[in-house]
Amino acid sequence: MLERPGSKRISRPAFMVRRERFGWAMVSPAMIFLIVMAALPLVSIIIMSTFRIDLSSPLDNGWIGLDNYRDILHDSRFWHSMWVTFVYTVSTVILQVTIGLVLATAFFRSFKGQGILRVCVLLPTILAPVVVGLSFRTMIMSQQYGILDYASILFGFGSQPWLTDRYFALISVIIIHTWQWTPFAFLVFLASLHSMPLEPIEAALLDTRSTWQRFRHVILPMIRPAIVIVIIFRTTVALRAFAAIFSATGGGPGTATEILNLYAYRESFDSLNLGYGASLGTVLLVITVVISLIFFRLRRSKA
Amino acid sequence: MRGVLTYALYVVMTLIWTFPVIWVILTSLKPRTQIFTVPPTIIFEPTLTHYITALTDQDIMPSIINSLMIACGTTLLTLSLSVPAGYAFARVTFRLRSQLSFFALLTQMAPPIGLIIPYFFLLSNIHMLDSYTGLIAIHMTLTVPFSIWLMITYFQGLPMCLEEAATVDGASPFSTFFKIALPNVLGGVGVTAIFAFIESWNEFLYAVVLTGSKTKTAPVAIFSFLGAEESRYGPFTATGVMIMAPVIIVALLAQRHIIKGMTLGATKG
Repeated sequence: MLERPGSKRISRPAFMVRRERFGWAMVSPAMIFLIVMAALPLVSIIIMSTFRIDLSSPLDNGWIGLDNYRDILHDSRFWHSMWVTFVYTVSTVILQVTIGLVLATAFFRSFKGQGILRVCVLLPTILAPVVVGLSFRTMIMSQQYGILDYASILFGFGSQPWLTDRYFALISVIIIHTWQWTPFAFLVFLASLHSMPLEPIEAALLDTRSTWQRFRHVILPMIRPAIVIVIIFRTTVALRAFAAIFSATGGGPGTATEILNLYAYRESFDSLNLGYGASLGTVLLVITVVISLIFFRLRRSKA
Repeated sequence: MRGVLTYALYVVMTLIWTFPVIWVILTSLKPRTQIFTVPPTIIFEPTLTHYITALTDQDIMPSIINSLMIACGTTLLTLSLSVPAGYAFARVTFRLRSQLSFFALLTQMAPPIGLIIPYFFLLSNIHMLDSYTGLIAIHMTLTVPFSIWLMITYFQGLPMCLEEAATVDGASPFSTFFKIALPNVLGGVGVTAIFAFIESWNEFLYAVVLTGSKTKTAPVAIFSFLGAEESRYGPFTATGVMIMAPVIIVALLAQRHIIKGMTLGATKG
């Protein structure tokens, strides 16, 4: 696969040169596109983060070095948004993986009606997060008229400020995210279990007694790679969650559900302080890249 | 006993994941007076007034057309870039192959908020804010990376012998790709197209910042029914249903393939 050092000296057969050219011709449109539209903007956001670009008072704009980052260190709203991001990401990922695993374990042996189940759980994952967030805000979690609030009153828990109290709101946006994306984890785990050879599972299932042992010693080891992939993927997605929170709470009440992504958005496009927004975006970019690289390394060493 | 428990869990699961959607659909069909009732109305005479209100709203119909144009454009261009690239990554040995495919994977992880400020300046400098082309190009940064990876997996699933036979017969690499490999992965191309379409159709962050009155997409326009002083739940839910309907129909038709595509990366290890 890889070129050996010095292989360039030896003139390669003509057909290999042709293959090489063919390969480059096939990938270069996509690669040029990604370099121009993804790599260059990422470089330019890092450059922009060293400028003061405040469209609401443009007179003082100019290069300020690392001042934005110095401000970030003393910005309590930033640290608050980091905390919210942490709580949101960790809890949604843990919930999705745990619930997904429980359900996949319960349903992995095929039975009548599994097709219907799959269609039903596929549904949330393809819906627009904006429509999901707005629907929860209006039809489900609004006080008085929301169906969840009605159920809460019916079961004697009383009407609750689902999206208007700071603690409730954070829990609610976590619930919304978990509702929409647990099916993804479930479907991946299910597919992963189904791709395994059946006999060893069946044999092991006969050996072990309790449900927990069965899960711990038979199922878990088999789908560990799938779990790692789901964690990597869902973490990077949770870090950049936007539409569902934006439409359900707008980051509020106050800044109660303002994850870093949303703070960067509000700073850039509500306050029009683009330089500072760019430095917040850069922080999020660095966090995402670092976490992904750690996960990739973990995955490689485990596999 | 176990059977009963599993069955109960089954019913609860299907309810939890379909109920919110069903509730939105039901609300969109309720007469205005029966939307805000405690307890909620379940039996009512369905009406299409909210759909008529939504469709005659000056924003909604154009925004659905905008969404459709942008999602179709994104899908077609995404395929034309990522299908050839996926084939080369899957089948051809060339310098920097593994580095480039890893680069494509990495671009997918970049948070859009880190890209949107540069896009905002780029588009305003070339006067493409509020244009189809601008938003299509930007939506493609979301769809091209995962489409390349999907197509790599689909091409790798093809048996080598067909292409080898063609090469031995003297076919050029291009004609092997077009005449042998491509016709055999059309199903995979279809799944990739569905994912690209859904991604663009549902996208919100880029659309809300980079579109204006001319190209506003449906996920942005739906906010107009939920103002600060009054919320018009009827037309709102009707619009929500119209945004959800295309993807739900596609999902029902192709659910097996969609689930397969969705879980492909994870089950291949």
